Amino acid sequence: MAGTTRKPKRPGKARTEIPIQPAQVPPRIATLPENPVEKRLTGILAVCLRELIDDLGAEPAWLPEYQPSGDSEELLAASVGFHGNKLRGSIILAGQPRVFARLYPFPTLHNPPDLADWAREMANQAVGRFKNRVLAYGLAVSVSEPKSVPAEDLRVARTKKLIEIPMAIGIEDMRLDALIEFDVGPGFELAEQPVTQKGPALPEGSIVLF
Amino acid sequence: MKATVLIIDDSLTVRQQVAAVLTAAGYEVIEACDGLAGLEVVRTHGEISLILCDVNMPHMDGLEFLERFKGENSRQTPVVMLTTNGTPDLIARAKRAGARGWIVKPFQPDLLVGAVRRIVGAVAG
Repeated sequence: MAGTTRKPKRPGKARTEIPIQPAQVPPRIATLPENPVEKRLTGILAVCLRELIDDLGAEPAWLPEYQPSGDSEELLAASVGFHGNKLRGSIILAGQPRVFARLYPFPTLHNPPDLADWAREMANQAVGRFKNRVLAYGLAVSVSEPKSVPAEDLRVARTKKLIEIPMAIGIEDMRLDALIEFDVGPGFELAEQPVTQKGPALPEGSIVLF
Repeated sequence: MKATVLIIDDSLTVRQQVAAVLTAAGYEVIEACDGLAGLEVVRTHGEISLILCDVNMPHMDGLEFLERFKGENSRQTPVVMLTTNGTPDLIARAKRAGARGWIVKPFQPDLLVGAVRRIVGAVAG
């Protein structure tokens, strides 16, 4: 390969290269799984969300307690599923339109942007990061197509078999809800540390010309 | 005459972002929402200097588009994949199928323009 380009880091935002770090669980997720493998998986997913928001120019803050939002009619929500060997799950992002508008790139170019489409793309990019990260842990996953989630479905109990990790992320004076859900089958394995120092997947923002 | 770039992506947002960046850089941009629509655009449109193509799309994904496009077209229009996916096996498959490059989203506008200039310039020159 020739011509690999890595995007420059944002000024003043030195960031840890995630592929060479163990998964870090955000400190204030209320309901963490006790199983260490599931805990690592949750940590990787949460880091992917944090990274995505960071790359979109906002400073995410994990809110201390998750409380379901009270105004589902006004919510935009999107989900993307993933599956691999003995693993299936999804990430759902939900929030009021203005939080997605805040995270929309190039805000002055499109007025108004299609925020439902952008919510789906955000979920897609979060799961894409997850796919790239877990490859360093020896786990290959496939990603489904992004879908919009009707607001009323956010309140419906999901399949009990799935482990659900709700998170509330503060973005300035707004809030983005994220629901990570997954199910791991017997014998599911995830390395404790990344297997390689660099991570086998190309990082976000890379450009490779052949 | 402006060089034309075809962006194939099921996300309207991504198509708009790419179009805004490349239009500002002096390119004409046309769009398609999946691989099938992309093939139709290629068949009906005139000269296309570069195709930027997502991977994970409904109806026909980007790698299938790439393989069919390269199989059906004698033109050497370069194709660059633009995707959230950075896994080596898919990159290798794209390279084998004749892709000219691979970009992992989210893209940096200046780097995208730089890559497009490099490729389109190389094709024209």
